[in-house]
Amino acid sequence: MNFFLLSLAIIVVGGTIPLLTFRHFVLTKCIYVSVTAVGCISGLSALLSAASSPESLAWSWAWQHVFTLSFSFDSLSLFFLLPVFLICPLAAMYSFFYFERAENSLKTAVSYFFTNILIVSMALVTAASNMLAFALVWELMSISSYFLVMYDYEKVETRTAGYLYFLFAQGGALLIFAAFGVIFSHNGSFDFSRVVGIPDSAKLVVFFLAFLGFGSKAGVFPLHIWLPHAHPAAPSHISAIMSGVMIKMGIYGILRMYFMLGATDIRLGQTVLILGMISGLLGVLYALGKRNIKRMLAYSSVENIGIILMGAGFGMIGIAKGNSLMAGFGFAGCLLHVLNHSIFKSLLFLGAGAVIRKTGISRVDLLGGLMKRMPITGKTFLAGSLSISGLPPFSGFVSEFLIYFAAFQGLKYNHINLLLSIIAIISLAAIGGLATFCFTKVVGIVFLGEPRTEKVRLATDGGWTLTVPLSLLAIACLGIGIFPAPFITLAFSGLADVSFVSQVDPQLVQTIGTNLGFASRLFLIIIFAVILLRKALYRRKENTAGPTWGCGFTRPTTRIQYTGASFSRSVIDFFRPFALSRETEVRLKKIFPERTRYASWVEDVAEVGMRQGLALPLLSLLGKFRWIQHGNVQLYIGYIIVAILILLLILFI
Amino acid sequence: MESFVSILIALLSAPLFPGIILKVKALFAGKKGPPLLIKYYTLMKLFKKGSVYSTTTSFVFKLGPIVSLAGGIMILLFFPLGAIAPVLSFHGDVLVLFYVLATGRFFTIAAALDTGSPFQGMGAAREAFFGTLAEASIFAVLILFYRMTHSLSFGEYFTGANPISLTGPAGALLLLVIVALFIVLLTENSRVPVDDPATHLELTMIHEVMVLDHSGPDLALIELGSFYKLFFYSAFLAMIVCPLSPSGGLLNLPVFYGIVVLVYMTIGLVESIMARFKMNLVPKFVLTSSILVVFAAILTMGFIK
Repeated sequence: MNFFLLSLAIIVVGGTIPLLTFRHFVLTKCIYVSVTAVGCISGLSALLSAASSPESLAWSWAWQHVFTLSFSFDSLSLFFLLPVFLICPLAAMYSFFYFERAENSLKTAVSYFFTNILIVSMALVTAASNMLAFALVWELMSISSYFLVMYDYEKVETRTAGYLYFLFAQGGALLIFAAFGVIFSHNGSFDFSRVVGIPDSAKLVVFFLAFLGFGSKAGVFPLHIWLPHAHPAAPSHISAIMSGVMIKMGIYGILRMYFMLGATDIRLGQTVLILGMISGLLGVLYALGKRNIKRMLAYSSVENIGIILMGAGFGMIGIAKGNSLMAGFGFAGCLLHVLNHSIFKSLLFLGAGAVIRKTGISRVDLLGGLMKRMPITGKTFLAGSLSISGLPPFSGFVSEFLIYFAAFQGLKYNHINLLLSIIAIISLAAIGGLATFCFTKVVGIVFLGEPRTEKVRLATDGGWTLTVPLSLLAIACLGIGIFPAPFITLAFSGLADVSFVSQVDPQLVQTIGTNLGFASRLFLIIIFAVILLRKALYRRKENTAGPTWGCGFTRPTTRIQYTGASFSRSVIDFFRPFALSRETEVRLKKIFPERTRYASWVEDVAEVGMRQGLALPLLSLLGKFRWIQHGNVQLYIGYIIVAILILLLILFI
Repeated sequence: MESFVSILIALLSAPLFPGIILKVKALFAGKKGPPLLIKYYTLMKLFKKGSVYSTTTSFVFKLGPIVSLAGGIMILLFFPLGAIAPVLSFHGDVLVLFYVLATGRFFTIAAALDTGSPFQGMGAAREAFFGTLAEASIFAVLILFYRMTHSLSFGEYFTGANPISLTGPAGALLLLVIVALFIVLLTENSRVPVDDPATHLELTMIHEVMVLDHSGPDLALIELGSFYKLFFYSAFLAMIVCPLSPSGGLLNLPVFYGIVVLVYMTIGLVESIMARFKMNLVPKFVLTSSILVVFAAILTMGFIK
């Protein structure tokens, strides 16, 4: 029996036990968390032992005597398994804190079950090595995550969000299966290893179909609109798993499809790069505009998927151009950002979940002053924010640096590739700046300043099941930033099976890692030196405390603090055609005006466009065919018979 | 050894130069002006004082000055002042350094929001916005320099095999860079016409309003950090305007500092003859710089085969 399968079995068992023991709430939680953790850790160790010989883990079995489901591993799938087994046990541990109400124990048990099905199906997605196996586990992943989003099914918003997610998941799957269909029609085989043989013209079609399908799972603009609805609806650790790990399966699919096709057309890379830039810029822009903390984090996932795709785009252009440095660093940056994003995004979602759980408020503009009340949540959230803004000495910078490195390689070319590289580098810089803007806003408005509402005043940190996952993730953010060399090597080892990329000189990779690590540590050392200098300057001095200087205003209240909406207003207006900033009109009528209301919000162009350009026309068109659906079962059977007859006629004539 | 002497001189002399700006402005206005060493006196005065902390603030408030000063020191360590090899250098250091400055900005903004004051929030929003735009210009400059020298480090730019030089084959493009970098310098260091460090109304400030609540040694650290940042940008400009040969050693320093003084005098001149822009014109002003450099980068297709 293979060790990897055994760990998956443990995870399935860990998910099933709660269904039987749900009447004992705390016991159920304990069993679930410990069994799942054991399963994930043994999965991780199977992963490590397989790193040297991935072939040893391959297995397959015949299903229904017709289909063969086969699974095998290569370096890329092993790399994508890392976040699955690293993040999921932490999220499971956090669920101990998050699910606190015993009266929901059945719901909790069901959620546990689907969580573990999701973990197993994600692990199998990376391992699937023929189309049938892939389709099966991909659907399992989509459906189990759909049930997880629907945890609070009593709420209308949750049901809407779940429906939207279901539509996008199934629509995406449809496109992926269409791509598989095109492949099958050319070579008549389900096996991934034979895909490379199909003609070049078909490769282009297959890649773009699959890109759209996987892109809708990953959250590529404009197919991202399910993300900002599904994440606020789902429980926070589920958001962490979905945003940190599951949407990366979309990226995995894109990379797998690309390497499988062996296509070297430069247009693939250019398209991916352009879509990456658009996702990155607009994602961070909408993140700035949103008020709900989890919705904002969801948009920031769109931004990071954009950065990841930019890395992949540079990698593909590098392969098309025969530039192994550009290809290697592009793909390595892409992979490392996948790992980094899974760490800091789950950290941020878990932190946001703790805030929401403790205060009952998810609107950024109503929070404030939590750094003193929830110090561990606050500090780890700060670490995550620095990391996601791509600032040294934290982890996000390392992967962005690799992508920059690839992008600067692109400047060696002329014409379209030069222009694309120029725009990409400037967008990457602008994304970094806007992300800093966005996360100073979240940290500043939510955790700093004074509480804006009374409920916030009473919040406290949760127990160790909350603080341990947060602290571990925050340490990982800083650790990757300070000692990046092994992680950069790890990202390159994820590409070991891509023949062209493995030509990159390992010496150069090592040097870059060492230099980056040296710079990060130097920065920390200078910071500590300045802290010592400051300590020396404050020796034997009296510091006094007082209220904040109100610029002459003597009766301040906490409500006059700057809000997130006003903080981001100027930038949103600057990007006006892309971010639709709306506000209610305030007009004073009468001589003695009545109480007025004011509201402002930012709309997503993709969402508005899809609603008005696609959904509404489709609804009104389909409404005209309502008469077909009359509720008479006998006639429905008649429809089926007619349809079968027509199909038979078409086939045999 | 030379590198250490040069960085030491820079770290000690940086507070001198803002005095020159004040002197130029005073002379323009027909006044005598403060002594040249005024900034040293200010620093000494602040170092001796204690601080007042708002009860609203947390540890982030104290980190703001520290991280921004650390960023200022770090970037000078990697810069070849007067074409003397920098203390440290590696391929890709420019990317790290500008991001280190961004980390400083992150903490300055967070410290401003930590006070809970609406004015400081306003300043923070403006700083974040204009900083982002200036960052785009900086990266456009890096793109152009990569096209010209195929390197990503300050050391390589000015002391490497094919250094950046106004007299080189693509030297004319540097004229555009000089204008753009000067705009970035004015933006990043909150000078007129982007921001007015001498204004008295909090509503119209950008950088000054963010540090309103800092006092005593904390304020001194902020001032010192901003001196280093201004010195770095001026040195960057000076090295482009007047490229020096690395073989000159310490003898380069007088020429280099002469040019640096000229840059500061230009800042003083600009401040004397211009008023600050309306806030909504500033983004356009800053964007001008990145457009100029991107234009130059595209022109390299003609120069560099």
